Amino acid sequence: MPLEVTVADYGVGNLHSIRKALEICGAHVSVVSDMERLLDAECLVFPGVGAFDSAMRRIQPWKEEIRGMLDSGTPALGICIGAQIMFDSSEEGDGPGMGFMPGRVVRLAARQIPHMGWDLVETGDPAMEGIRDRHFYYAHSYHGSPDDPSTAVGSTEYEGVRIPVLFRKSSFYGSQFHPEKSSSSGLAFLRNFISFAEGCL
Amino acid sequence: MLTKRIIPCLDVKDGKVVKGVKFQNLRDVGEPPRLAAVYEQQGADEITFLDISASVEARKTMLRIVEETAKSLFVPLTVGGGIRTVDDMRAALNAGADKVSMNSAAIADPDIITRCSESFGSQCVVVAIDAKLVSAGRWEVFTHGGTRSAGIDAVEWAKRAEELGAGEILLTSMDTDGVEEGYDIPLTSAVTDEVDIPVVASGGCGSVEHIYDMFAQTGASAALAASIFHYGEHTVSEVKEYLRDRGVPVR
Repeated sequence: MPLEVTVADYGVGNLHSIRKALEICGAHVSVVSDMERLLDAECLVFPGVGAFDSAMRRIQPWKEEIRGMLDSGTPALGICIGAQIMFDSSEEGDGPGMGFMPGRVVRLAARQIPHMGWDLVETGDPAMEGIRDRHFYYAHSYHGSPDDPSTAVGSTEYEGVRIPVLFRKSSFYGSQFHPEKSSSSGLAFLRNFISFAEGCL
Repeated sequence: MLTKRIIPCLDVKDGKVVKGVKFQNLRDVGEPPRLAAVYEQQGADEITFLDISASVEARKTMLRIVEETAKSLFVPLTVGGGIRTVDDMRAALNAGADKVSMNSAAIADPDIITRCSESFGSQCVVVAIDAKLVSAGRWEVFTHGGTRSAGIDAVEWAKRAEELGAGEILLTSMDTDGVEEGYDIPLTSAVTDEVDIPVVASGGCGSVEHIYDMFAQTGASAALAASIFHYGEHTVSEVKEYLRDRGVPVR
């Protein structure tokens, strides 16, 4: 039986790539715009499209239930904005986030913003096992800054500053990079995530 | 370390890829989704589609092509040409574009840059600038395929676009485009010296040396090229090998 992955559609942006990428990696994918349908998901994916407030606005009515799922170990992946909304708040938005990852989302301390293009992910986490080329695609102006440093399991160096880009708490992974835009390395990462998620069930 | 990007550009007219030589004498070179997938295999960091069709019907064809491409492409796709409104941009993003570039519409109504970046995030808003040298050290923005001056300074316009919320500048030199004698290094430097957002250099690439020279002499983040890839003169991986050997960081 393939893993059933439910992707949250916040109403804007390219979801074709993430759907297709997960399917190629062996998952069965549903993309849902009715957020209530996230509640009976086997595995959740929060994609990296749109802005902090617009994504949170859609999720807000079911925030407590979704947090409950994450706290009780439902496997989940948040990509870019989809990872950032897991924090308490963001400098990008006015409203609160999910509050699943204690900490804030802060603006990059760099000259060139957005941090856009292919850059490394440095990690010893099993999510990157077997991936030789560790360059992944980034397109962001903000990044998560967790209160608990042990939840930042991967980082990159941008303009001389080390920034956390891979997060892990319980059965949740958050990536600041876009695996669905990172060619064969990105697909390998998603394959690893799917194996991880299957192991959580 | 952030690597320099190599971006094959596909000029698309009525659903087919063409390459304009100074925007004239268009020659058919293939199907966009297939070409995009080939370039990803070769190591392209991103793909750009520029829709050079004029009709409304052709624009719908373009959205279908974007959708078909996105289903088999796992590198970012930028789509430009004919984007006039926030709704046009939303349609392109929903069809499968990761970034959308605007040209004339942004000049006519600069606030559209802000509206789009607030709606979709600045990382998907690209402002395309076609610039032409009008006097020593002064480039003006041109529209309508390089035939009409907008009467504004290209460097000033790039700075303004950044302030309004653009996430990237796609800078094309009308003086070097289609000539294949190298990128416009003075223009590219003039812009990269003044803005902090990434700049994609375009126009004039005829060889791997041109790409190296441009990266060595300007602050551009990416090189856009068409004919050297479409006509099989070089693969993207050959270009990257050449750059890597000379110390340019590439993936």
